[in-house]
Amino acid sequence: MFLKKRARPTHADAAAEFDNLLRDHVPALYRAAYRWTGAVDRAEDLVQELLVRLYPKLDELRGLDRVRPWALRVMYRIFVDQVRRERSSPVQFGADAREDSGEDEGHEFIDPAQGPVELLEQQLTQERVVAAWESLGEEHRVVLSMHDIEDYSLPELSEIMGVPIGTLKSRLHRARAKLRDLLATERFQSLDRV
Amino acid sequence: MYEAGTNWIDATELNTRLFRVEAIRAIVDTQTETLRRALKRMPAPEPQPGFVDRALANAAREPATRSRPRAGLAHLAGRWETWIGAALGGAVATVLMLILLRPLDGVDQPVPAPMGISMALNETRAIDVLIDSERTLEDATIRIVATGSVVLDGFENEREIGWRTHLDRGSNVLSLPVVARSTGQGQLVAVIEHEGRTRRMIINLTVRDT
Repeated sequence: MFLKKRARPTHADAAAEFDNLLRDHVPALYRAAYRWTGAVDRAEDLVQELLVRLYPKLDELRGLDRVRPWALRVMYRIFVDQVRRERSSPVQFGADAREDSGEDEGHEFIDPAQGPVELLEQQLTQERVVAAWESLGEEHRVVLSMHDIEDYSLPELSEIMGVPIGTLKSRLHRARAKLRDLLATERFQSLDRV
Repeated sequence: MYEAGTNWIDATELNTRLFRVEAIRAIVDTQTETLRRALKRMPAPEPQPGFVDRALANAAREPATRSRPRAGLAHLAGRWETWIGAALGGAVATVLMLILLRPLDGVDQPVPAPMGISMALNETRAIDVLIDSERTLEDATIRIVATGSVVLDGFENEREIGWRTHLDRGSNVLSLPVVARSTGQGQLVAVIEHEGRTRRMIINLTVRDT
């Protein structure tokens, strides 16, 4: 009995298989990247970098039961590296932290007589949520995005982010608190273009 | 009566406290769920048409033939219609150019990596801030804040200066004479405001006693 020699896949075959394995996941990965980065071009770059890193791992990809969490984990590491590099840069760009003078005519005053849930509901216009989201730090955006939006469980997140569950719980708690704080106390202008 | 540490509380009070804890927990849970629903409603765009095809094909190419991602800080500029770049030069010769490209220009072009900006104590250096706008901006406000070890030449006693101006479509260069007044860290912050919207750029500087 002879063991049949396995044909070496051609480059075209490998590319087609890679496409087949990843194509369905790219939109979801892109949306995650967009939530983390807050910008179309950054999300595109992040996903592109992810795919470039995954292509040489085709053999590993082939054997996976669930491709998306695995890809998400790789993307998260790329993102963390990018953020670290940016923070070490001497030149940083970002939205201005808006001083709350309370004099802006668009400022919405919150009725203190209302209960906390009602207050929160009042603050949750989509525009304000988006503005608050953009003001969150990357760490908070990532954990809220994966847990509260994409519904990954804490054990799954622990695997993806390489962080203990206890740390994740407190990070999630801080992220929600920060978001509530931003919604409650900040005056949001449309975070658009100059 | 129940013993709780060194204090005695009666059963009614204990029940009241427990009830309050439960009520607070219920409010927090409801708040969390409300917040979660709002986050789920937050729009996240689908990839632009053709992006998935391009990205998958690009990943499978040989490294030398891949189109390069936007590098350095260009992606940050891509968020805004108007962006700010900095071109840093010495008094005699240009030492470093750090220019952020327009989003469309930046797709396949590498941008020089940013370098650390060090100044010698008492050195005066012109730092050019390049403001590139895709449209004319009437009545824009520019604010410059110098903090820490650096000040603006001629404005030693003012940490912040601001003025209203007109920005042309395209490149607008603002030359800032910066003086390294003491050793340590300093920052130069340029803020552009127009119609209630704000963009800010921060340049970190290190002043050394050399």
